Amino acid sequence: MDFAKSDIQTMLLDSAERLLSDSSGVEYWREQHRSPLGFAEVRWAQFAELGWLALPVPEEAGGLSGTIEDVALLNIALGQALATEPYVSTVVLAGHILEQSAGEAGAMEALGSIAAGTLRIALAHQENGADPLSLDGVAMTARARGGGFVLDGGKIMALDAPSANQLIVSARIEGEEGIGLFLVPSGHDGVAVTAYPLLDSTRAADIAFNGVALPADALLVGGNHALAVLREAVDRASIAFMAQAVGAMEAAVKICGSYVQERKQFGVVIGSFQAIQHILADMFVAAHQARSMLYHALANADQPEARRAAALSAARIVIGDASQLVSRNGIQVHGGYGLTDEYAIGHYFRRLMCLEKHFGDLAAHLERFGGSVLA
Amino acid sequence: MELRLDPELESFRQEIRTFINDVLPPEIKERQRTKVLNNATVPDQNEWMRILYRHGRSVPHWPVEFGGCGWSPMQIFIFSEELYAADAPEFDWGGTHMLGPVLYTYGSDELQDRFLPMIREGATNWAQGFSEPGSGSDLASLRTSAELVGDKYIVNGQKIWTSGASHCDWGFFLVRTDKTVKPQLGISFLIVKMDSPGVTVRQIPQINGDTHLCEVFLDNVEVPAGQLIGEPGMGWTYAKFLLEHERTTSSFIYWSKRELDRAKEIARGESRGGRRVADDPAFRARFARAEADLLALEWSVLRVLAHEETDTPEAAAASVLKIRGSELQQEITMLQVDALGEKALRFYEASPVAPPPSEAWPDYVPGRTAVALIARAATIYGGTKQVQKNILAKLAFGL
Repeated sequence: MDFAKSDIQTMLLDSAERLLSDSSGVEYWREQHRSPLGFAEVRWAQFAELGWLALPVPEEAGGLSGTIEDVALLNIALGQALATEPYVSTVVLAGHILEQSAGEAGAMEALGSIAAGTLRIALAHQENGADPLSLDGVAMTARARGGGFVLDGGKIMALDAPSANQLIVSARIEGEEGIGLFLVPSGHDGVAVTAYPLLDSTRAADIAFNGVALPADALLVGGNHALAVLREAVDRASIAFMAQAVGAMEAAVKICGSYVQERKQFGVVIGSFQAIQHILADMFVAAHQARSMLYHALANADQPEARRAAALSAARIVIGDASQLVSRNGIQVHGGYGLTDEYAIGHYFRRLMCLEKHFGDLAAHLERFGGSVLA
Repeated sequence: MELRLDPELESFRQEIRTFINDVLPPEIKERQRTKVLNNATVPDQNEWMRILYRHGRSVPHWPVEFGGCGWSPMQIFIFSEELYAADAPEFDWGGTHMLGPVLYTYGSDELQDRFLPMIREGATNWAQGFSEPGSGSDLASLRTSAELVGDKYIVNGQKIWTSGASHCDWGFFLVRTDKTVKPQLGISFLIVKMDSPGVTVRQIPQINGDTHLCEVFLDNVEVPAGQLIGEPGMGWTYAKFLLEHERTTSSFIYWSKRELDRAKEIARGESRGGRRVADDPAFRARFARAEADLLALEWSVLRVLAHEETDTPEAAAASVLKIRGSELQQEITMLQVDALGEKALRFYEASPVAPPPSEAWPDYVPGRTAVALIARAATIYGGTKQVQKNILAKLAFGL
């Protein structure tokens, strides 16, 4: 067991430090919030130049074949800087699904385009009322027709879909077991995207599919295997989001540590009050435990599904609890200023709230993990 | 970054598991598993130390030249984990984990030759005389005095919360040898024989029925001057070293793992209204949180053991272990109590032998509440939770 960073990881974090510290902070975030996609194309191109978009992509597709640990370390930095780019959707989530369907020539090509920064893909899977963890609540249908498929149905909360060129869409293939995952151009006939911003300035969309006719090779992976691939991809995305939460928490804790040494009341800095000190200590403990649990999830990332899922849910519980404690106390020590859009802490609060609820919220993970603990 | 466990450690674990299974007498294991309270099992504890000593494994964490095993921190971690999982008796912590490291680090050759063998052979039990009635969190204000007269120190004062003092042969005491300097600089570290004239031990009746905690009165106790460890006035430094040396054990991670397993056993065994406690959603959520928090604690321990590089001092990570470790001991023991429901209210006398189990009263009932009650001490001893938070505010934030 070794927590020391490899040379590649150190280089990665150095590059992240350089790019992200130049372009983050309240003014930058507010500007992105007002922008059409919630992030700047120019910075996405920089992500590509720095090799970040190629990180987990296999070498044979033009990537760097980085590990999930590499991806997590980069995402800690993205979380610290509250980056709103669709990194997890495109590189981690879609990247993994494409890699697992690499038998398809189109998939390898798409991976190459992701690495080059010319293609963004979002997952359109979630349907209203479906279980966010089992991932099998798919009512959307794919009917075989003329050697291809026709898709009908609706998806909600497709993260990062508004900026995506392509969508990976889950649907039940009529007459077959399991589900299929289809690659669909976002501007395809019959695809209607209703975009909206989320609390943290990222974007999501509800998407209606009406008689969307696709060629046979649009099916990336089907049958019972598709659900397994989807779960793997979502678990990896969940790890990347946990890494972002760890980064965001650590940054928020630091911000609060500085703030209480500047803000004066009763003629002294509020950090001199033990009541405030103990709040900060609680925040430090929570953020520390959160990072520990990210390591636990990473150590189990390649385990068989049951063990991987248990480790992931355990990590989501600790990190979800910690996110709430850190962000809520973060606002508390800032007093009224914590409620304004002009202080960083409120931005961290909103990002941490979003990260806690993507791919199954705290309650869902508590229920699932409780079942495995007492099985 | 390599987060997977070295496969060689897995075979080491198997070897240790087999070893413990081979040498731990079944009757001792059973008494440990079903004991109601601590004091009753001191003879078993000493016997177990002697067995480990015969196999060269009574103080594996010490340097090899003093009887250690030369194991890595991870191997020592695994050894401890397996001891707890097997219901082996506790170490004599005062000797093996507190005084021992101070002695082999700061003690003279003479003191090392005299006392280290006693400790590693399991021949002695050691009392820790730090706290005083007026000096708890503010330990540096301690007043027990040791005055050098000829070749002896004359010790006068009172210590409190000295665990197990009534059965200890020896003790290590923080005493004031100089009243003229800053409080921290006037403290020395003294070894005292507990049957010396003038030493009186009073057992304190506790809320759980045990009398493990003691008061120690020192009335003109004569102690050979050679039993002062290291330099006079350096006691505070040695005491801080001792506490820091115990950085990861303060997490109680192995103990808590075993007790969480026992909580699960209770939740599966107890039913109310035809539903197992284990199937109650409210309990399941508590168990999920406890298990997840314990995993986080374990990884935090591993991070300290591997000396992970962080931008805050390692002592900050140690305070995290103490805070979360103590909170989890309390949560897990209360989970046992709550899973037992009203049955947890039955009071059991301190006895090495629990009453025979029955269908309504399985052998997991006796002892649970007694332990949960004394677990309230976890956030008090060794630096209260509030003191730990003060330390964190300073180390992590410079406040």
